[in-house]
Amino acid sequence: MTSETARLRFREVVLPHLDDGYRLAKWLSGAEADAEDIVQDAAMRALAALEGATPLKPRAWWLAVVRNAALTYMARRRPKALRYVADLDEDVAEDAPDPEAALIARDEGERVRRAIASLPSPLRETLVLREIEEFDYRAIAEATEAPIGTVMSRLARARAALAKLLGKAP
Amino acid sequence: MSDQAPSRAHAALDGELDVSQRLAFEEELRRSPELAAEYERLRALRRTIREHAPREAAPERLRARIEALAGAPPRRAAPRWPALAAGLAAAAALAGYWAGRSGGDPELAALVAGYQRAALSGQPIDVASSDRHTVKPWLAARAPLGALVLDLAEDGFPLVGGRIDIVDARPVPTLVYRRREHLISVTELPLAGAGGGAATLEGYHVVRWRDRERAYVAISDLDASELQAFVADFDKRTPR
Repeated sequence: MTSETARLRFREVVLPHLDDGYRLAKWLSGAEADAEDIVQDAAMRALAALEGATPLKPRAWWLAVVRNAALTYMARRRPKALRYVADLDEDVAEDAPDPEAALIARDEGERVRRAIASLPSPLRETLVLREIEEFDYRAIAEATEAPIGTVMSRLARARAALAKLLGKAP
Repeated sequence: MSDQAPSRAHAALDGELDVSQRLAFEEELRRSPELAAEYERLRALRRTIREHAPREAAPERLRARIEALAGAPPRRAAPRWPALAAGLAAAAALAGYWAGRSGGDPELAALVAGYQRAALSGQPIDVASSDRHTVKPWLAARAPLGALVLDLAEDGFPLVGGRIDIVDARPVPTLVYRRREHLISVTELPLAGAGGGAATLEGYHVVRWRDRERAYVAISDLDASELQAFVADFDKRTPR
């Protein structure tokens, strides 16, 4: 049974950032229906976790919960969509949507969306947390459980790949 | 692969350089056209990404499900500017209330003291930058509640920098904007019981308001109407 304290914390910690959580889930999963299920899972986890304590950085904490829920969800529902094995594989996204699709998309918004979607998960989540959720390096490191050096290198590679896909490379 | 050292241009773009590194980087930018070109490419890429990543609201049915989970009372829309204006119109009563209990609100008293100390010391800011992407991570690293840093230069209120104030023994982020020779401090606080209103404390004008996510306190030696114009611009540019 969920305590009133946990519900109260949930209303303060999660509800103000619900839209951000949904957006992140959508970027990580690439599908609206999946994003709703992921946010629902994340909300259940968050409610349970809030029985114990209240986080220092509510938004960063909640988005990290969403990110973890997305990983679990993707591994269970769409195992092929997830390549999270080792850094070795990071630059190869055999399973992600075809990067070429980004080149022929009708408008710039669609091109950008597809180009980001075609990045391998570790690069994509790092880029999305930085550019869209505006996390700093340390917050990304905490959310993705990666060393800061890895965050920086993933970010650099994600940007290089994106620039190339969007024809903005030198 | 992971240990490949990304260039400082990325760290600069991301506001992750400290003041001396930043100065060194800017010097290098002036000297190296290649570096300047790379930095410009990175900035252009960021603009492209952010332009095409609209803030999207969760679908209503999802929000309803999650709110039910939280046992939340029926949601009221976030107070928008008209509501705020109404709040300010009622300010006279509040002003009397606050002035009559000078120091009665320890949170406001602490913030006004912070403003006064900052103004008197000639050191109103701990981090000096007009770039919100520099100020934001600096504040986020020092205060648990990261700050929403808005660019109001177009409205005539350029960002000067930020500082940390202490309220109730907790560090809170304060942004400092400028209008002519006047400074405006905006402190962002976690949502608590307090509502909105305007007041005069220790000779400074104070406006308090809130949105769905946080409470704000603006303090300035500007006159009351200009401070209210600032608050209106800030509120208008707050992402919903």
